Amino acid sequence: MFADMIESVAKILFIFTVNLGFFAPILGWVERKQSALMQDRIGANRADVGGFTIIGLFHPISDAIKVIMKEDFIPAGAEKLLHTLAPAISLIPAIITFAVVPFGGQYELFGHHVNLVIADLDVGILYVFAFSGLATYGVVLAGWASRNNWSLIGGLRASAQMLSYEVAMGLTVIGVMMVYGTLKLTEIGAMQESLFHWGVFLQPLGFILFFTCAVAENKRAPFDMPEAESELVAGYFTEYSSFKFVMFWMGEFLEIVTIAGLVTTLFFGAWHIPFVSDSALVSFFHFAGPNGAAVLAMLVNITTFFVKVCFFIWLQMTIRWTLPRFRYDQVMKLCWKMILPLSLVNILITGLVLLNG
Amino acid sequence: MDKKTDFDQTKLEEMVGVPLDRLKPKRVHRNPELTLWEKIYVPEVVRGLGITTRHFVSNMIGFVAPPSGKKRSIFTVYYPEEKVELPPAYRGRPVLVAKADGTEKCVACGLCEKICPAKAITIEALENAMGERYPYKYTLDGSRCVYCGYCEEVCPKEAIVMSAEYEGLAERDRRQMIYSKEQLLRSEESVKGRLEYIRRIYAKWNY
Amino acid sequence: MPETIRDLSTEQMVINMGPSHPVTHGTVKFLATLDGENIVDLKVDIGYLHRGFEKMCESGTWQQVIPYTDRLNYVSPLINNVGYALAVEKLIGIEVTERCKYIRVIASELARIADHLTNVAAGAMEVGAMTAFLYFVEARELVWDLIEALCGARVTANYVRIGGVKNDLPDDFAKRTHEVFKRCHELWADVDKLLTHNRIFIDRLRDVAPMTGEEAIALGFTGPCLRATGVPYDVRKAHPYLVYDRLDFEVPIGETGDNFDKYLVRMEELKQSMRIVEQALNRIPSGPVNLDMPKYRWQSKDDIYNRADSLIFHFKTVIDGIKPPVGEVYLAVEGGNGELGFYLVSDGSGKPYKCRVRPPCFPLTAAMPRMMKGRLIADIVPTFDMINMIGGECDR
Repeated sequence: MFADMIESVAKILFIFTVNLGFFAPILGWVERKQSALMQDRIGANRADVGGFTIIGLFHPISDAIKVIMKEDFIPAGAEKLLHTLAPAISLIPAIITFAVVPFGGQYELFGHHVNLVIADLDVGILYVFAFSGLATYGVVLAGWASRNNWSLIGGLRASAQMLSYEVAMGLTVIGVMMVYGTLKLTEIGAMQESLFHWGVFLQPLGFILFFTCAVAENKRAPFDMPEAESELVAGYFTEYSSFKFVMFWMGEFLEIVTIAGLVTTLFFGAWHIPFVSDSALVSFFHFAGPNGAAVLAMLVNITTFFVKVCFFIWLQMTIRWTLPRFRYDQVMKLCWKMILPLSLVNILITGLVLLNG
Repeated sequence: MDKKTDFDQTKLEEMVGVPLDRLKPKRVHRNPELTLWEKIYVPEVVRGLGITTRHFVSNMIGFVAPPSGKKRSIFTVYYPEEKVELPPAYRGRPVLVAKADGTEKCVACGLCEKICPAKAITIEALENAMGERYPYKYTLDGSRCVYCGYCEEVCPKEAIVMSAEYEGLAERDRRQMIYSKEQLLRSEESVKGRLEYIRRIYAKWNY
Repeated sequence: MPETIRDLSTEQMVINMGPSHPVTHGTVKFLATLDGENIVDLKVDIGYLHRGFEKMCESGTWQQVIPYTDRLNYVSPLINNVGYALAVEKLIGIEVTERCKYIRVIASELARIADHLTNVAAGAMEVGAMTAFLYFVEARELVWDLIEALCGARVTANYVRIGGVKNDLPDDFAKRTHEVFKRCHELWADVDKLLTHNRIFIDRLRDVAPMTGEEAIALGFTGPCLRATGVPYDVRKAHPYLVYDRLDFEVPIGETGDNFDKYLVRMEELKQSMRIVEQALNRIPSGPVNLDMPKYRWQSKDDIYNRADSLIFHFKTVIDGIKPPVGEVYLAVEGGNGELGFYLVSDGSGKPYKCRVRPPCFPLTAAMPRMMKGRLIADIVPTFDMINMIGGECDR
């Protein structure tokens, strides 16, 4: 009982540190630096502490300081309560969705069973959808409560876009559920031990569709309709400043991590290294004793998982800086006329294959 | 929606008023029907990602370990540490050229004051003990100057030149940007390059 | 169903787009009446960058106007210089030397390249393709480096003079141009691959704001926007000035005049302009660049330093300005956005009696409501970018 508690607390602390302490601030830096390198630029590197810049790694800190010092501005006529609440509503789901994403397998450690996921829910995927659906409220409320025409249009766009893609995203994962026969993300992860059982090989179409939907759900370019800075100034967060603005911003970055984690878990073998099975990994570390081997295997698996996550973060960033933005009606058309039918076709084909095979 | 321009193409000549064969029109390929390849988004997206990734990787290599002797592939100039190489034609802050004894070459003829399109120059002339005109006051309003280089071009004495100075041209207070003669004086040595350049380009019209 | 619609309250929303809005660069205001995302009505409000250029010209001498023209279309200032100088020369009735003509062609084509690069880049950026924007800005930077080596400034060129140019080409100019164009072609290919076949980009631009040739002519379109409608009108070909009739280049035309055609026409013109510059550099004859006409072109410094009569005459031409004969003249050149015309009236004094500019983007901006009514608010972005309204030129 006590050991379970320690385990839970340790896992929660770990994910909090990694997501909020590492990814959220560092992604701002990655976004700048990566886009800079893609565009033949140097990128932010001027913030220094005692003359050291460490390729601009102090920028997240200086950003944080700057942004907290800024005036927290609520426009006249805005709905104060909702205006304040909205960033929190969009940030919290982003933080807690990662709870069901497994970042490692299951290990026997000092006679204790360790399962590297915060909440091993039976309905793992549905939990993700439920909470990303909640995030929509944050955006819509922000758009409405700001009492600004641009925000309002942004909020309206966000509601329509996010709800539509919610539907499509649900359907795209059904193929995966059918193949693995479970909703539990840990089980889906565990079944991808062999490279040939990776979701991306069993569900290639499902992967592309899911990834598209996930990026659209996160409102990042090329689907950044709600904020579309050249059309709507900044969309739903036009009237936000200071820490509330950062909350939107952090929510977006955390969702990038969650999407990367989900894609890794569902399609890219979760914590597994290609061609290396879990037992092989443990036996490779047999020199460290049974507990030591488990710990080492655990570390290797966690590292593998986060390397994959980093790759998908990189991919999302590259997409964001490469592609032009859709038009609002085209985004909706893409969802209802292309992704939705294709995901249905995907389900149909998966079903046929499963029936015959 | 994709309709072609509905006017009579044979009337084109009349509309333009010029024989078409002289115009050499070349129709751009507007790709009216998307191929399946383009329609399904993914291949073209992947191709685009390939291009940006190529830039990313090559810049990354240049960033982490710059190939020795090769110019960095990143285009940005790292400003205060690196400086751009200015061409000799560059027009920076206009400065007055001093003679060897430290006084200005300027004889206060007023041509620069007259030609200045922004009316940034004001001269007050006096005569010295030897009866020579000199600018008792020479004021250049840096906040008005547009760096056109006309003052240098019309000056019959090589007394005002556009130096290569480009730092400190702006101040937080406009009153500090009104430069006096003393602030503008530079030794002949320091603007030697520019003097040689203007001697070369304005000396002869090659006729 | 009709009852449902009647009960739905669909108020129209009036929204101020600009003057300070990310898409209204060049400072313009759109007063858009929206029904949801659809534009019911659009009013264009210009004049935020009005500086009184035309009146200002009347208070300066004929030469002093040249730096002012730099600030018309500030993306391609050299073309404005050339246009003004040609107009004054036509008024006087002189013709510049052969080498000078080639230099002016090179200068204007470099400026046109910078203009189109900026325009296409900004268009890409505004529909979200930030990387394509920076690739073209890199190319533009290289072209500006060339312009800087040529005339000493990147934007405020002040290069062309009445009866000549400020200075001859720098020594290694041809070689440098060649290197720069090589890199420009590489970046052009990258941007072409990133955008031209990308369906997202095509969908954003194609069939937005189409225009027939007749209508475009009626609205006063010129330049790439007119050529996109399929009318191959190019001042360089239709009324050749300088040495354009001796150079081999094509006039790219589109079909429907929509934004995608405008984009493609500009992309093609970039290549054509590079071709023109390379040809001109190959064919440029040696010889004088300035006219030997002290009455209109300031004399060389050698004469001024060494000859008293030259010095006195120099003072006269600078202080009083050159004095073109009484008369009026209109001369148009092909600017970055189209026909850039100068209408000059001289009363025989040293100052222009009237200096009127025909800005190519004024009719284009005026056609915005016509192009935008009934479309989505997001369509303003590529449309406004592709007409390339430059505040300095439109508002003067």
